[in-house]
Amino acid sequence: MARMKFLCDADRCIECNACVTACKNEHEVPWGINRRRVITLNDGKPGERSVSMACMHCTDAPCAAVCPVNCFYTTADAVVLHSKDLCIGCGYCFYACPFGAPQYPRVGNFGSRGKMDKCTYCSGGPEPDLSVAEYEKYGSNRLAEGKLPLCAEMCSTKSLLAGDGEMIAQIYKERVIKRGYGSGAWGWKTAYRETIAI
Amino acid sequence: MLTKRRSGVAGRSNHQALAAGLTAPTLDRRGFLRKSGLAAGGLAALGTVRLGAVRPAQAAGASADPAQAVIRKNVCTHCSVGCTVTAEVVNGVWVGQEPSWASPINRGAHCAKGAAIRELVHSDRRLRYPMKVVNGEWQRISWDQALTEITDKLQAIRTKNGADSVYWLGSAKFTNEAAYLFRKFAAYWGTNNVDHQARICHSTTVAGVANTWGYGAQTNSYNDIRNAKTMIILGGNPAEAHPISMQHVLSGKEINRANMIVIDPRFTRTAAHATEYVRIRSGTDIPVIWGILWHIFQNGWEDKDFIAQRVYAMDDVRKEVAKWTPDEVERVSGVPGEQLKRVAELFAKEKPATLIWCMGATQHTVGTANVRALCILCLATGNVGKPGTGANIFRGHTNVQGATDLGLDVTTLPLYYGLVEGGWKHWARVWEVEYAWLQSRFDEVPASAGRKARSRKENMETPGLTSTRWFDAVSLPADQVDQRTPLKAMMVFGHGGNTVTRMPEAVKGMAELDLLVVADPHPTTFAAMDARRDNTYLLPICTSLEMDGSRTASNRSLQWGEQIVKPAFESKTDYEVIYRMASRLGFADSLFKNIKVVDGIPVAEDLLREINRGGWSTGYCGQSPERLKAHMKNQHKFDLVTLRAPKDDPEVGGDYYGLPWPCWGKPEIRHPGTHILYNTALHVKEGGGTFRARFGTERNGQTLLAEESFSKGSDLTDGYPEFTFGVFRKLGWDKDLTADELATIQRIGGNTPDAVSWATDLSGGIQRVCLDHGVIPFGNGKARANAWNLPDPVPVHREPIYSPRPDLVAKYPTRPDERQFRMPNVGFSVQKAAIDRGIAKQFPIILSSGRLVEYEGGGEETRSNPWLAELQQDMFVEVNTQDAAERGIKDGQFVWVYGPENTAKTKVKALVTDRVARGVAWMPFHFSGWYQGKDMRGFYPKGADPVVLGESVNTVTTYGFDPVTGMQETKVTLCQISAA
Amino acid sequence: MRRLTSLLLLAATLALTAPAVAQVRAPDGAPNPTASSVNEEMLFKQDPTIHGRISIPNATAANLIQPQGREWRQFREAWLPWIGALAVLGMLGALAAFYFTRGRIRLEHSEESGKKILRFNSFERFSHWMTASCFIVLSLSGLNYIFGKRLLMPLIGPEAFATLAQYAKYAHIYLAWPFMLGVLFMLVLWIKDNIPGRIDWIWLKQGGGLLGDAHPSAGRFNAGQKMIFWMVVGFGFAMGATGLMMIFPFAVTDINGMQVMQVIHSLIGVVFIAGILAHIYIGSLGMEGAYDAMGSGEVDLAWAKVHHDLWVKEQQAKTASGPQLGRGQVPAE
Repeated sequence: MARMKFLCDADRCIECNACVTACKNEHEVPWGINRRRVITLNDGKPGERSVSMACMHCTDAPCAAVCPVNCFYTTADAVVLHSKDLCIGCGYCFYACPFGAPQYPRVGNFGSRGKMDKCTYCSGGPEPDLSVAEYEKYGSNRLAEGKLPLCAEMCSTKSLLAGDGEMIAQIYKERVIKRGYGSGAWGWKTAYRETIAI
Repeated sequence: MLTKRRSGVAGRSNHQALAAGLTAPTLDRRGFLRKSGLAAGGLAALGTVRLGAVRPAQAAGASADPAQAVIRKNVCTHCSVGCTVTAEVVNGVWVGQEPSWASPINRGAHCAKGAAIRELVHSDRRLRYPMKVVNGEWQRISWDQALTEITDKLQAIRTKNGADSVYWLGSAKFTNEAAYLFRKFAAYWGTNNVDHQARICHSTTVAGVANTWGYGAQTNSYNDIRNAKTMIILGGNPAEAHPISMQHVLSGKEINRANMIVIDPRFTRTAAHATEYVRIRSGTDIPVIWGILWHIFQNGWEDKDFIAQRVYAMDDVRKEVAKWTPDEVERVSGVPGEQLKRVAELFAKEKPATLIWCMGATQHTVGTANVRALCILCLATGNVGKPGTGANIFRGHTNVQGATDLGLDVTTLPLYYGLVEGGWKHWARVWEVEYAWLQSRFDEVPASAGRKARSRKENMETPGLTSTRWFDAVSLPADQVDQRTPLKAMMVFGHGGNTVTRMPEAVKGMAELDLLVVADPHPTTFAAMDARRDNTYLLPICTSLEMDGSRTASNRSLQWGEQIVKPAFESKTDYEVIYRMASRLGFADSLFKNIKVVDGIPVAEDLLREINRGGWSTGYCGQSPERLKAHMKNQHKFDLVTLRAPKDDPEVGGDYYGLPWPCWGKPEIRHPGTHILYNTALHVKEGGGTFRARFGTERNGQTLLAEESFSKGSDLTDGYPEFTFGVFRKLGWDKDLTADELATIQRIGGNTPDAVSWATDLSGGIQRVCLDHGVIPFGNGKARANAWNLPDPVPVHREPIYSPRPDLVAKYPTRPDERQFRMPNVGFSVQKAAIDRGIAKQFPIILSSGRLVEYEGGGEETRSNPWLAELQQDMFVEVNTQDAAERGIKDGQFVWVYGPENTAKTKVKALVTDRVARGVAWMPFHFSGWYQGKDMRGFYPKGADPVVLGESVNTVTTYGFDPVTGMQETKVTLCQISAA
Repeated sequence: MRRLTSLLLLAATLALTAPAVAQVRAPDGAPNPTASSVNEEMLFKQDPTIHGRISIPNATAANLIQPQGREWRQFREAWLPWIGALAVLGMLGALAAFYFTRGRIRLEHSEESGKKILRFNSFERFSHWMTASCFIVLSLSGLNYIFGKRLLMPLIGPEAFATLAQYAKYAHIYLAWPFMLGVLFMLVLWIKDNIPGRIDWIWLKQGGGLLGDAHPSAGRFNAGQKMIFWMVVGFGFAMGATGLMMIFPFAVTDINGMQVMQVIHSLIGVVFIAGILAHIYIGSLGMEGAYDAMGSGEVDLAWAKVHHDLWVKEQQAKTASGPQLGRGQVPAE
């Protein structure tokens, strides 16, 4: 059973922003929309860590719960996707999201926030897999091609892991045991209500 | 855009469980569609509601046949790690980028720049067609007009002022073939004024390392760092400058639980992952290294056997190191003795240990001395020539190593053949051109200002002007510039205008030139400085992703990149532009005598074959285009750590990835390349070796040859000098040469065949026979702790020109004024004047500069890429929290940074952070397009301006040059900061 | 409501807590960035939001984890529908009960019945109706955010509902502006007549005439109307202010602030709707003759004397001492 998750190993992340530009490259995301971003905590001080963050595709996703038009759905791979045809750009998902994932293009006058855009785990949207309409609205669909999100695939230090939750948790566990330290699976508690016990 | 995607059905599946369902009650796509009443056809009904969709698919269009998607591999242009770029091309359009899993170097990974590199080629901000400035306005012209006007002007300048009055500035982004061709072109033009970016990044490394043990290059590789148990990163921030190297660094750190020690004035993103961070005052590297060695010698932690067998004159170093007691080190550098003792013990005892450095060590007035001290630290602890050890020097651009190797340098010919008669004659033989004709191309230099006149031959053997000071060579009084006339023309290929220090003076120099030609994918800062009204040309050159050719990564591996797409717009390859210029200048037939030219474009493979035919000295002889292409095809076969392919592979069996030089002999003998230099544990045929016997056999009664140390399987079990035909005859090895090889040697040697050496034997026979005897062609020497030919044979500390510690300058002054590279270096006078004027009081903050991960070099190219530009939208200065508080500066506000020369100032945003210590500020060097508070966007040709502009840090950087290479001082100057 | 309070408290404390700095050193005191790395638990102890530095100019993107959305979600999904339903249905129920127990308040006839007096001029009526019509659309589209997906979507299907909701959103955002303008107009027009006084206290004590037989005295507006006025002004401004902060995200407040704004906006919204329902009832169905005031603008003099005796006296004194006002002219007040 695949349950797709992201895991950023902050002890590997060097804030190189490859995940950010890989996402731009793969989906031709316009200026101003950042489906993924890297944040540095404790900047400039010992203990500093950087973490790459995007939509975590939460279990019991808050965005989906608060959406006034129920435009979200969860795929068989547990990826949280939404329909831009249904979305009304109200901004509620942004209030609810613990990770600041939803993005809104400014489409015009005051208040006319565009359709919400967010990380699709490189798996498109409700349109048929690999269709033109899907690409135009959501970007490419790597999952349908048997590939993983490009941000994780291109991560410079293999810090950002994507894939089945249990598999990436296992990879992370092995790393921590091998090296003897680990600052934890950032955001997992909030997104999945679980952590990786080591 | 979408067409490529359908082919993915047959693609690799990265996770087995992908198709599996999920226990939780979820909705699949079809179910959702059903429930929501949406179907693909029904979407049109919603047409009235505007979609906030991402940018529509473009370029290839939906009608393209997916079967046409072609995969092409090239090499990322943004640093020297050498990441493979895998491009998907449909109908000649680069539509997508996939991870390059097969590459043992990057294993699918990229940094921000590599992951955004597709946009570099697509960019609509590229220079589209040739242009010239007419009365200060940009005008579009044709290639023919541009090249005709340029070459006519060059001829006129040459006739009037001589060949040396034109400066040929090449690029570290050239392919090996283009770099070689450019150097050859300059030779045919008749000047040694030919340089490239290595001058400003690692020229001191090349000089310092080569003078220690033979070759000026990284001894091991990025991958080999995985073997290290201790690593010191000094003056380097690979997390931003070489992010993919961190994959190997951090893996090594984790797998071996290795110590990762970062020594840097700034708490960098790399330091954040260190097991020990040592903060030093900028410019005190030698005191810190000697401070470490003090503890090593004090406690007897040095590798005594290694020193006895393989190092010359370590005792001279002991004497100097003895002066650097922990107290004195702390007084000068600020580092506590206890901390250095811990570092010293780890480096000496937890082996293998490697030393990694970058521009923090090299870009100083003491750059060469710094590098020498670092090498000596490796030697003293026996940390060279084994896996997991070595001087892992991270170089800058894609092909800065290759461009250096191929002689884009004012002191050498291709592959480090010196500017001596033997070197020139070697290349004249390879090029099949008359040595006398080459000589005739050079200027005679008349006597001036007490200096003797130079004949053409002498001028041909005189190092040129360094690119760090080209504008001084324009502006200084004529009698101070030691050539026929000062510079009159700059031919700039792939080189930013904001990368050298003292921008205000560079702008002045630019204005005085008779001709300025910038050949680049982007206009560069040269075009945007409003310094010129006429005689300025822009030539659109394609990116190296649009070119065939090889690139040498920092670890000496050569990788063949194939043209991903045809040059965009009207841009042309370097090869074609050089060919067309040579045609107009009348020497194309000779220049391309053995190189095929198809439709006006020289063939890259033929250029590499010519390099192979002449590249004996550095082992560039075995890497034929066919072998390199086989490596790219079989990338997945190479081991991650050893970089070696299985011996039984039919195409690349036993090879090291990219045939890292030296790759001895002709391609046919299939030398595997040398992964780790000077590694005596391997047979020479397996990539083993010894220190190079480059400096003679004896000095002051001490031998310079190794003692009881030799590479595995060597017929000679002690040190030996480099091999010549004469040595061969003494050993009786001349009998092993074939008749053809003997004939070639006789032809080259003429009356003195004994002098024909491993480096000048065009038959490759000497190298072949050496390998059969298990000896390395360049001899088995000792590394030098004392390099007597350098200004400071044993490195000594010297305060920066603009020192924040005037109290230390008397004891540790910079070197006296002297003439170097045809010009005066008056560092001492400037240092003295700064003390006299109390500069350190008026400008109390140390200013250093460095790199951001999103940008590269001068930054025009990367700042024109919106995917990158969005991530760094403003030039900034890092100011310490306390310094900011004292000045009332808030994070994110504009401040003025004032420099101590030229009343220079820059307006930048403040980034208030503790990354820098109190009294230290730091600025990235990638910005330009603002000048002293003024936005220069309007001066770019329309549409070719970068997305992000900002002040160049070099507007406020100052005087200071390394005596050995002319390296500029970018890492230590002084400044004052105030709120704007 | 406990969660809501904690959310509000949280927002208040957010501004006060400065992030403490974690400076962990290796056992021997040397800087060991590996050993001393920050972790989620530690950072959450310092601050309810984990935030750092990001190179893009969007400062809000520098928040890594901001779990406060959970409380907001709890409010919006678990509490708000009940609160909203209670407020709206409760008021409707109460009004129905009142109507069926007390019936319509009839106009008391007198000799002056049939004579008309101008109560609201056309600008006043324009302001009222502009505000009122906006309010109706705003309240319906506002309720749609809460109840639409629960009540309407199952009926008309997601596609049609999404289209409707999209227009409802546009309506909500664009009509907010004339609504806010209308509230402003009404404030200027009627504030003078809505200053609370002693007379209002008496009016209230008598329950506006519902308790006992006599009609308490009232000026232009009685205490009940004054309450409506101040509710409209107060809630109107509150709705405007909180709404603006959501229309212009991050202009004034951060994400937690916007969550609080949304809570305030929705809570006031449903109470406001309930209040206005009462207002509508009393101005139309509940009382004979009242509607004319905002309908034609002229009311029956008899009705006026009963309900606004002091105002009628004042008006008649004016007409006696000065020129008669023509219809539509603004009283010279």
